[in-house]
Amino acid sequence: MNFKNLTIKEAHKLLENREITSAELTEEFFGEIKKRDKEINAFLSLAENEAMAAAKKVDARIAKGEPIELLAGIPSAIKDNILIRGAKATAASKMLENYIAPYDATVIEKLREEEAVLLGKTNMDEFAMGSSTENSAFGPTKNPVDLQRVPGGSSGGSAAAVKAGFCVYALGSDTGGSIRQPAGFCGVVGFKPTYGAISRHGLIAMAASLDQIGPITKNVDDAAAVFEAIRGNDKFDSTSVKKDWPDYWNEPIDIEEIKIGVPREYFTHGLDSEVEKSVREAILKLEKEGAKIVDIDLPYSEWALAAYYIIMPAEVSANLARLDGIRYGYSKIKNSEFGLQNLFDVYLKSRGEGFGAEARRRIMLGTYILSAGYYDAYYTRAQKVRRLIKQDFDRAFREVDAIISPVSPTVAFKFGEKTHDPLSMYLSDIYTVSVNMAGLPAISIPAKEAYNLPVGLQLIGDSFEDIKLLKIAKMAETIIKEKI
Amino acid sequence: MLTGKEVEKIAELARLELGEKEKEKFAEDLSSVIGYVQKLSEANVEKVEPMAGGTDLENIVRKDDVENCDPETRKKILAAAPSREGDYFKVPSILE
Repeated sequence: MNFKNLTIKEAHKLLENREITSAELTEEFFGEIKKRDKEINAFLSLAENEAMAAAKKVDARIAKGEPIELLAGIPSAIKDNILIRGAKATAASKMLENYIAPYDATVIEKLREEEAVLLGKTNMDEFAMGSSTENSAFGPTKNPVDLQRVPGGSSGGSAAAVKAGFCVYALGSDTGGSIRQPAGFCGVVGFKPTYGAISRHGLIAMAASLDQIGPITKNVDDAAAVFEAIRGNDKFDSTSVKKDWPDYWNEPIDIEEIKIGVPREYFTHGLDSEVEKSVREAILKLEKEGAKIVDIDLPYSEWALAAYYIIMPAEVSANLARLDGIRYGYSKIKNSEFGLQNLFDVYLKSRGEGFGAEARRRIMLGTYILSAGYYDAYYTRAQKVRRLIKQDFDRAFREVDAIISPVSPTVAFKFGEKTHDPLSMYLSDIYTVSVNMAGLPAISIPAKEAYNLPVGLQLIGDSFEDIKLLKIAKMAETIIKEKI
Repeated sequence: MLTGKEVEKIAELARLELGEKEKEKFAEDLSSVIGYVQKLSEANVEKVEPMAGGTDLENIVRKDDVENCDPETRKKILAAAPSREGDYFKVPSILE
C-alpha cells in the first residue's frame, strides 16, 4: 500500500476495519523518513519509542473492539517550537539545541487525549522567523516538489513532511503566514485559525499577539478534524476563547449563497503573472459554479507589511529577552575560558552566540523601535494602523462571506535567492500578514500549478467563522480538483 | 542610515554581542528595514485608537492563589539551568 497521500479519514477507516494496525502504519512512516529525509531534512528529531508505544496502545483498544477517536493511532509531525514533554524543543535554534521540554503544550495534551501518534519534531526557521527554513540552525528543509527550492517557512519542515508522505498531518504555527505560505509552496493545505481559537500554551512565543497554532494537512476535511481536536479555551492562555463551535461535518455549504470578495489591492504590482492566472482561474470556476464574486477594497493593505515589521519585532525583542543564559538554553555562564565574572557579559556572550543572524536582526529592530524617542513614532503608530486594517476587514465582511487571494506573490523560490536581502524575504509575506494583524482565520489550499510548481490559494474568513471558512474552502477544493 | 555607534548601542540594549564585521552588515540590514517601515508616517492615523492584541477581548483575570506545579515538572525546569545551587539559579556576583 502507498501511504504518501493517506488522509486522516482514510487512515481512520483502515484502522477501524483492521486492514492495518497503527503500529504497522507508524513503522511505515518511520521507514519512509529514514529512506528519504536525509535529502529533505524535514525532521529535527524522531520519537520512535514513544510513537510505537502510543500506536500499540491504540491497537490494543481496537483489538478489544473499542471505538477510537478520529485521530487515534494516526501518525503526525509537530513543529519544533511546540513543547512535547521529555522531547527536545529547539525551535531550530542553537540557543535551545539541548533544551528538553518539561511539560506538554496544551495542543499536545489534546492530541494525547485523542491518542494521536507523534512521530517527531519538524524543522523551521529559527524561532519561527523566516519564510524559507533557511534560518534554521540545523540546515534548511528542501521542498519535496523540487529539491532546488525552499519549502517556505517558517513551518517548512511540517509542510514538507506532509507533502513527502512522512506523516498523515502536521502542526505548524503562523505569525505572519508561517503555516499558509509553506503549505502553498509545497502544495498541501494549511489552516491558520482565528486568534484565540487554540491555546498557545507551550508554543515558544515569537510575537504573542500574532502567533497561532494550526494544522497542515492533505485536504480541508483533515484540517477541520485536527482543528476540532486541538481548539478550545485554556486557563494557561488568557487569550484563548470559550466558544460553542458549529459542526463542520453536517451539510455542506450552498455555493449559490456564498459571496466572495476579491481585494483589488492584492492583485497589483509584485504578483507573478502565472500565479495570478492560476488564482484568477480558480475564482472563475467558483463563479461558474454559482458563487457571487465581488471586488472589494482593503485600502490599508498598503501599510500592513510595514506595520507588521514594527509590531512583530517589538514583540520578538520582548519575548526572546527570557533567553538570558541563566535559567535554560545556551549559556556561557560556566565558560572558564572567558572567566566571566560579570552578569552583563554572560548575557552578551550567551545571546550573541546562541541566536542566529535573523533572530538577532529582529531583536535589534524591536529594541530600536521600542526605545525611548521612537516608541510613539513607530510602535503606537503601527498599532493604530493595525486597528485600521482590522476595520477594513470588518467592513468587507459585512458584505462578503470570504475573501480570496493568492497566498504568496510567487511560487517557491530557490535556495539563497533572498537570503542576502532580508527585506526581499519579508515581502513574500505581503498577502498573509494582514490576517494575523486582524486575528482572522485563513486557509491555504492548492490551486492549479504554475511553472510546474504548487500555487496556494488563500481564503480568509471573519473572526471566529472558522467553520464557515473551512466549509467554503472544502467547496473550493472540490471545484478546483474536479476541473483541473 | 544607522551608524556603527547606533548599532552598537542597540545591541547593548538588546544584550547581544556583535562582531566588528557584523556591525556593518546589521547597520545596512536594519537601515533598509527601518527605511521601509518609515512609510507608515504617510498613513493617516488621526483619531484612531491603537489596537494592542489579536482580539478585542476584555482582561481575563484569575485569583491570585499559589498553585504548585507538579514536582516532576519542577525538577525538570530546575535541571535545565546551566548553573545552580540547590533550588536557586546561580549568577555571577552583581555587587562589587
